[in-house]
Amino acid sequence: MNERVIAVVTAGLTTPSSSRLLADQLSAAVADELSGRGISSRIETIEVRDHAHDLTNNLLTGFPSAELREVLETVEAADALIVVSPTFSASYSGLFKMFFDVLDDQALAGKPVLLAATGGTERHSLVLDFALRPLFAYLKALPVPTGVYAASTDWGPNAAGLRPRITQAAGELVAALHHETPTKSDPFTNPTPFEDLLNS
Amino acid sequence: MQFGVFSVGDVTEDPTTGVTPTEGERIKAMVAIALKAEEVGLDVFAQGEHHNPPFVPSSPTTQLGFIAAQTSKIILSTSTTLITTNDPVKIAEDYAMLQHLADGRVDLMMGRGNTGPVYPWFGQDIRNGIALAVENYALLRRLWREDVVDWEGKFRTPLQGFTATPRPLDGVPPFVWHGSIRSPEIAEQAAYYGDGFFHNNIFWPISHTKQMIELYRRRFEHYGHGAADQAIVGVGGQVFMRKNSQDAVREFRPYFDNAPVYGHGPSLEDFTRETPLTVGSPQEVIERTLSFREHFGDYQRQLFLMDHAGLPLKTVLEQLDILGEEVVPVLRKEFAALKPAHVPDAPTHASLKAAAERARQLETIDEPAVVAEPTAEESTR
Ligand SMILES: Cc1cc2nc3c(=O)[nH]c(=O)nc-3n(C[C@H](O)[C@H](O)[C@H](O)COP(=O)(O)O)c2cc1C
Repeated sequence: MNERVIAVVTAGLTTPSSSRLLADQLSAAVADELSGRGISSRIETIEVRDHAHDLTNNLLTGFPSAELREVLETVEAADALIVVSPTFSASYSGLFKMFFDVLDDQALAGKPVLLAATGGTERHSLVLDFALRPLFAYLKALPVPTGVYAASTDWGPNAAGLRPRITQAAGELVAALHHETPTKSDPFTNPTPFEDLLNS
Repeated sequence: MQFGVFSVGDVTEDPTTGVTPTEGERIKAMVAIALKAEEVGLDVFAQGEHHNPPFVPSSPTTQLGFIAAQTSKIILSTSTTLITTNDPVKIAEDYAMLQHLADGRVDLMMGRGNTGPVYPWFGQDIRNGIALAVENYALLRRLWREDVVDWEGKFRTPLQGFTATPRPLDGVPPFVWHGSIRSPEIAEQAAYYGDGFFHNNIFWPISHTKQMIELYRRRFEHYGHGAADQAIVGVGGQVFMRKNSQDAVREFRPYFDNAPVYGHGPSLEDFTRETPLTVGSPQEVIERTLSFREHFGDYQRQLFLMDHAGLPLKTVLEQLDILGEEVVPVLRKEFAALKPAHVPDAPTHASLKAAAERARQLETIDEPAVVAEPTAEESTR
C-alpha cells in the first residue's frame, strides 16, 4: 500500500485560527507533492486546543486520557509531521510545548518534521530557528531546512511571498520521507532477558 | 485470595476542615488503621517508605514491629521497600528480625521509589535505578538464603564471610513482591525469580496494568515457575463508600479535588472511569473489584488505599468497617468460586515453610541421586 500518513499538530487558539490556516495550506502542499510522485496521503490534523484539558491532566496524573492517548499514538505512528505554533512572547506557545512534553521523548526519533509558526509581527520569524528547531533537535526528529513563518501581513499584501516557502518546505518534507525511520523495539513484546540485566 | 490495605503515610490537610494532623498523630493513625484492618478480618496491612515530608513512614520495621506486638493474624507488608537506596544488608537484617517478632507474618514489596532526590540523599544516582534494583535484590536473596556470603558488586562495599543476622525464621525468607508501575524490567525480575508481582495501578488506566501483568505472567512461565495463570499477582484499588452512591461522591469530592498527585486535574468522574478509583455504594465496589479479574486473570492479592488526601481517621475507620463487613466477605466468596484449583494462593510463611520441608524430604529420599552439571567439554561431545 503506497500511502503516507502525515500528522499535523496545530496549536492556534482563535477561531478562525491563522495557525490552522497555515497548517491546512502546508498539508495540502505536502499532499500535492506526494500525489505528484504517485503516492497517496492521509492527513491527520490535530488541534491541540481540543486536548488542552487532557494535556494538563496528563501533566498532573502522569498518564493520558484514552482520547489523548489515541492522538499521541497517531503522531507517533505518522510517517511525517507538520507542526504549527502561534508565536507567544517570542517563542512557541505554552500549549504547543505541553503537547510535546507529554509525548514520549522517543516518539519523534527519526521522523521528518516541517516547522511552522504564525505571529503578529514578521520581526519574530526567527522563532522557527531559535525556539522550534532546538526543541525538535532534542526530540531527535529530522526538521527539514525550510521552516514557514506567517505574520499577519502574510495573509494580505505579502501572501505571494508565503506561497513559494510553503512549496519549498513541502518538497523538502516529502524528500525526507525516504529516510528509514528507526523501528522501536516494544519492551512488552521483547523484554530484556533478566540475565542481561544481571550482567550489565 | 488476600485482601488488605496499603498506606502511603502522607500528612495532608483535611480540605473540609483545614486541619492537618501532626506527624505523631498521623503515625498513630496508621497504627490504628492496621489494628482496625485486623479487627475487620483483612489479611494484609502494608505501608510505604518515604524519606521526605509530607510523608511520615521512614522506618517501616519500627512501625510494623509495634503493630506486630498488637496483632496476631494480619500479614505485615510494605508498599514499598526502597530496594534502590536501602542497603540490602540492612533490609535482610531488619525484615528477618521482624519475621521473628511477628511469628512469620511478614512479606515485602520491593520498589524503586518515586522521589528523585532520595537517590542522592542516600548516596546513589537515579540513572542507576534499574541496575540498583537488580543488584541489590540479587544480594538480598543470597543474604537470606546463604549463611555465609562472599560478594562483590558495583554499588556497595564487598562482603567477605558475612552472615546477616538473625537468620530468617525457620530458614524461610519472607515472600517478596516486586512493585512496579511502568518498568517492564521489574516485571521481568519478578518473573525470573518466581516472586510476586504487584502492579501499583491506582493512578493508571487498566490497559497499562493489563499489559504489565501479561508480560510478568508470560515470563513467569518462560522461566519455568509454572503456567502463566499460576503466577502470583497483586493489584491496588482505591475506594470510598457510603450506603448511597451520591452520598459517597458528595463526601469524597473535596478530598479528591485537592488530593496530592491528581488533585486540581481530572474530574472525579473522569478519574473514576480511567483508573480503579471507585466512589459509591459497597455493591459498586464489589462489582468494580470483581471486574479486575477479567483484565488481570485470577490474582492473589488485592490492596486498597483508604487513608490518604487528608481523610480524617474517624472516616477511614468507618470505611474499613464497611470494607471488612460488607465488601470483602462477598469478594472472598465470589473470587474463590471463580478461581480454578490449579491457581495457587499467595505464599505465606506457613506455606513456604511446608514447601521447604517437602523439598528437604524429597532430597533425603532421592539421596545419592545428585545430578552433576555436565562440564562444558562433556556437553559438546
Ligand atoms: C499571549 C500572547 C503572546 C503573543 N506574543 C507574540 C509575540 O511575541 N510575537 C508575535 O509575533 N506575535 C505574538 N502574539 C500574536 C500571536 O502569535 C498571533 O496572534 C497568532 O498568529 C495567533 O494564532 P492563531 O490565530 O492560530 O490562534 C501573541 C499572542 C498572545 C495571545
